[in-house]
Amino acid sequence: MVQSYDVLVIGGGIIGLSCGYYLTKQGKRVVVLESGGFADGASGACDDMILFQSKKPGINLELAFESLELYKSLVGELEDSLGFANYGGMVLIENERELEVMEEFVMQQRSYGLDVEILTKAAMRKKQPFLHERFIASTYSSMDSQAYPFAVMHRFARKGRQMGMQVVHKSPVVGIQKDGAGDFLVTTAQNMQYRAPHVVNAAGAWAGKVADLIGLNVPMEPRRGQIIITEKIPAIGETNLWSAKYLVTKLKPGIQIDSTEEEKRLGLAFALTRTEGDSYLIGSTREFVGYDKRTTMEGIRAIINQAVSFIPVLKDVNFIRAIAGLRPATPDGKMVLGEHAGVPGFFTAAGHEGDGISLAPITGKLLADMVCEGRSDARLEELSPNRFASNAKEVC
Amino acid sequence: MADDKDFFICRCEEVTLREIEEVIDEGYHTIDDVKRITRAGMGLCQGRSCGKVIARIISQKTGKPLEEVLQTSYRFPVRTEKLKALEEEGPSDAENN
Repeated sequence: MVQSYDVLVIGGGIIGLSCGYYLTKQGKRVVVLESGGFADGASGACDDMILFQSKKPGINLELAFESLELYKSLVGELEDSLGFANYGGMVLIENERELEVMEEFVMQQRSYGLDVEILTKAAMRKKQPFLHERFIASTYSSMDSQAYPFAVMHRFARKGRQMGMQVVHKSPVVGIQKDGAGDFLVTTAQNMQYRAPHVVNAAGAWAGKVADLIGLNVPMEPRRGQIIITEKIPAIGETNLWSAKYLVTKLKPGIQIDSTEEEKRLGLAFALTRTEGDSYLIGSTREFVGYDKRTTMEGIRAIINQAVSFIPVLKDVNFIRAIAGLRPATPDGKMVLGEHAGVPGFFTAAGHEGDGISLAPITGKLLADMVCEGRSDARLEELSPNRFASNAKEVC
Repeated sequence: MADDKDFFICRCEEVTLREIEEVIDEGYHTIDDVKRITRAGMGLCQGRSCGKVIARIISQKTGKPLEEVLQTSYRFPVRTEKLKALEEEGPSDAENN
């Protein structure tokens, strides 16, 4: 039997659910097709940051501001706190070379309206008394915030359902065709068929494979991020923390500041956030290892060694779990958002890599505007999937 | 007033039977779904105490066989471990633990 909708969303992670929610809110009949269970992919194996300091000045930073405002309104709209908190964030600087890079970066971010500054060693230690002595300075932004991904996803789904959205689990999409009437016909592994005039590919690290089903090219590589989770402990500092290396690894992969071979191979950098459940998430790696999402002893040990070298008191803290998720990485570090010129009605919203939690609300809202009103903001042109069309695959 | 459903199934994260049943009623029928939404099983014991109880509740409410509900993955570390237990160790030591 074929079920008909206005929009089929492929992928039930935080991006797919946000798209589904905002489309439903605009009156569309939507089904979200998820290959696994609830939060089975990267959105369920990540940290909780709405981090401004890690955003490239430009479209990513602009959208992060808009997303933060949406998060604030979603707290009321979805009738839940969403674990939304605003602890602020600091980027830790170990030496003069890092300080130079970060000073330049902070200047750029300030010109884009981000409230961020460089703290002296004394001011830094006042906020983070347990830091290792070697850090010479840090940045600080009071804007860095966080949200609890599981709560955001569940509340998007719950509110969406109340308005008529459907979410179907364990339904991997195996075929996408266009029929004579111009509708898409999507087939799942269970041989269920769904028909709609619009399809949204929100399959994260799998977005390239989904696009491939209809002959489109979306270059997407899975990038594994490993994270460890500690037991609940009292707060060890005022803010969440990152290493300067984290930003450099994320934003300028070409420039490595004093990294060891292991750090380079694992894409290792320090990130520490206090969670909704009063434990800490400590990360992380950024590895290209295909679709392998296992945690590894090498990765966990590297994260632990680094964490203890940053905050020595952590050595006596228990860790209760290690997780790994596949971040969807694009060649230019920007997400893919928009309609494919080659196949009208087919949209992609994926490729957020480490920014999925930050950018989920704004992605869903912009996508819904594009689908419902055919509106395409000129500033979103650089995110369009058509930027990859010049090296598109031959469709035969 | 508290009734017979306001007691903790997951003591680590203080999740009640009522909260777990609500999520099952919404259509989430796996241990992982229930865990991710309610935090039941995310605490210090990592579901080693409450996991089977939650499986039983899901099985009773949905009519799915218990064995089918029980299939879930256990990730390293199997028990909680101090960070220093893995710090600067040789690989062979940790893997034999």
